[in-house]
Amino acid sequence: MWEVLQRPIQRGVLAGRASVSLPTGVAVAASDAAAAPEIMGEALRVEVHRLYRGSLKLRHVPAGSCNGCESELQALFSPFHDLQRYGVDIVASPRHADGLLVTGPVTRHLEEALRLTDEATPRPRLVIAVGDCACDGGFCRDSFAVNRGVSAVLPVDVRIPGCPPRPREIIDALLMALGRLSVRRGALGE
Amino acid sequence: MTLDSGELFPLDRALRGLRERFGDSVLDTDRVSLREQVVVVPAARLAEIVEAVTREWDGTLLTMFGLDERASAGRFRLHAMCSFAPQDAVLTFVASVPEQTPRYPSVAARVPAALWLEREMSDLLGVTPDGHPDPRPLIAHAGWPRHAHPQRRDFVASEDWSWAPRFEGPQVEGDGVFEILVGPIHSGVLEPAHLRLSSTGESVLQMDTRLGWSHRGLEPLAVGATITRGVELAERICGTCSFHHTLAYCGAIEELAGIQVPPRARAIRVLLAELERIVDHVGDLAGILESVAWMVGSAECLRIKECVQQTNDVLFGHRFLRGSCVPGGVTRDLEDTQQVWLRGVLADVRADVEHVRRMALGDPSVVDRFTGTGVLSLEAVLDLGATGAVARASGRDLDMRRHHPYALYRELDFGVITKSAGDVMARFELRADEIIESINLIDQLVHRLPGGPWAQHLGELPAGRWGFGLVESARGALSHWLHLGPDGRIADWRVRSASHALWPALAQCVPGSIVPDVPLIRSSFNLCHACCDK
Repeated sequence: MWEVLQRPIQRGVLAGRASVSLPTGVAVAASDAAAAPEIMGEALRVEVHRLYRGSLKLRHVPAGSCNGCESELQALFSPFHDLQRYGVDIVASPRHADGLLVTGPVTRHLEEALRLTDEATPRPRLVIAVGDCACDGGFCRDSFAVNRGVSAVLPVDVRIPGCPPRPREIIDALLMALGRLSVRRGALGE
Repeated sequence: MTLDSGELFPLDRALRGLRERFGDSVLDTDRVSLREQVVVVPAARLAEIVEAVTREWDGTLLTMFGLDERASAGRFRLHAMCSFAPQDAVLTFVASVPEQTPRYPSVAARVPAALWLEREMSDLLGVTPDGHPDPRPLIAHAGWPRHAHPQRRDFVASEDWSWAPRFEGPQVEGDGVFEILVGPIHSGVLEPAHLRLSSTGESVLQMDTRLGWSHRGLEPLAVGATITRGVELAERICGTCSFHHTLAYCGAIEELAGIQVPPRARAIRVLLAELERIVDHVGDLAGILESVAWMVGSAECLRIKECVQQTNDVLFGHRFLRGSCVPGGVTRDLEDTQQVWLRGVLADVRADVEHVRRMALGDPSVVDRFTGTGVLSLEAVLDLGATGAVARASGRDLDMRRHHPYALYRELDFGVITKSAGDVMARFELRADEIIESINLIDQLVHRLPGGPWAQHLGELPAGRWGFGLVESARGALSHWLHLGPDGRIADWRVRSASHALWPALAQCVPGSIVPDVPLIRSSFNLCHACCDK
């Protein structure tokens, strides 16, 4: 009936106010599978430290998304989640990046831009498809103007479903991906 | 009908003027709904008529689009819809363009508000406006075949056409002129756009914008879709205006179905719409402050935005409020405890926004960057048909919530805030004020939500009717025009977002600024790309 979730209390920057604290007795509509950002974030820091010596740099490529996924990526690097403190950051140039975060179904107009960005990224690189559109074309996969997701253009390492995925779901997926990455590296004997 | 002062209502004045001056051109008139009047005119005189309506009779060009009726009537049909705020009336001019010669005298040549509308129509429908001041393609990049027009019924996409972008635009030449190219992939997390700035030293001479990168072909995709599938599409046209797109879409369907949703649903819609407005405006404040490198305030605004989005998630199950509005009502009720909690969260937001504003405007370096930067004149606003926060910051008293009331806005008490300076400062303060006004609106509803059901059946949908949904998104007037086919599925769908009118306005107010101010002016407009590209 009434589900009450414990939400992390984060201090505000100026006002020192808690972000959203739920009193008991309030109905919560959200399904919250992932753990608190702090717990996942610490785990992320360990993985990033192990695999990328403490700094995982990503380049965002908008490939025709609706701005929903962009907004959630911005939220990831905003003070509440602040992924930078765990060693993950967005960089301005693909030449500085360890991987690409691609949002959107890859519209035909942006196909070339995505390819060029990918070519400019040093190997090896991760390609992460963020959102339903990037995973398989999503709601507009039947349109003439789009590809069916990033995998039609580039090999994809990680797919993060959701329309858009919540920031903590993105962290969760990154963690899972880095875990697999280490398994793969182990198998290759690196 | 006359006003108290004895003057005619704006719509009646325009209709009388039309009969007097263009009497021979008024082929037919029809009142299609309570607020919408249709006038059939020849395409050859459409430009003159729209010019007279917008310049002399206080009309505002809301949207203009074309339909492919070649199969049924051997013609293309153009619609030009004008608002007559403060009267809640819409005047639609309908004109026919023959199939054999799909050309007509350009409206944009006389009414700048049609500039992008006609470019889009020429790309997507293949009806050419003769004498258009800027006939470059808007959505179609240079690689599209000359005869590919997705809004035509017989359009078939070919797999082998080239989509590679090429850019043609006005060039500025001379000693010491530099071109600064930006995008389509930006250095931050932003939507794609290609900007060309021509500058001499620090001062910008011209800015040219190339959009269309995110074109997903959504309007043609909706043809033949059920109205439920239409909700899915409408919600995903734009991430930041997600709820308002759904609201306009539902408004169009409800108008053509001839129903009014229950009061409780209308109240919850207001609540949802204001939550989205708060999120968007707080995000805009963060962007503006980030552009002047005042990171403390930017971080605080992003924290507030996150708070409200988590509140959305808690109450409605989605951080962007998707899935909460359907034709006929809303999908979720709000119980009393939830309302009270929401009011508490928003009381904090109100205090925090006031606090950030006070801090930011207490800093001389911020005030110095804001004041007098990127001034958009009221004249340009009126010419370009700009609406929303940007237009109100330049002194235009126009708000669809007040002038074309939908949902429950008619019964609520709120102010339409305007500023006169039209600079970044005015746009910053206006957004901060509107956040407070939005919270006031929600406060009025908490504990006073009308009782009763929060959704109702649409009933049998009348075939062949059209509906028009018009709402005020955080960016401005947003409209959906929808036409159902005989099978009850979507036959035509035309979307016009506020940003569409604001991009040309942005290009107007950048020249004369210095290069470092361009990102600031851009974030003070904060326009959607996906909304325009569709």
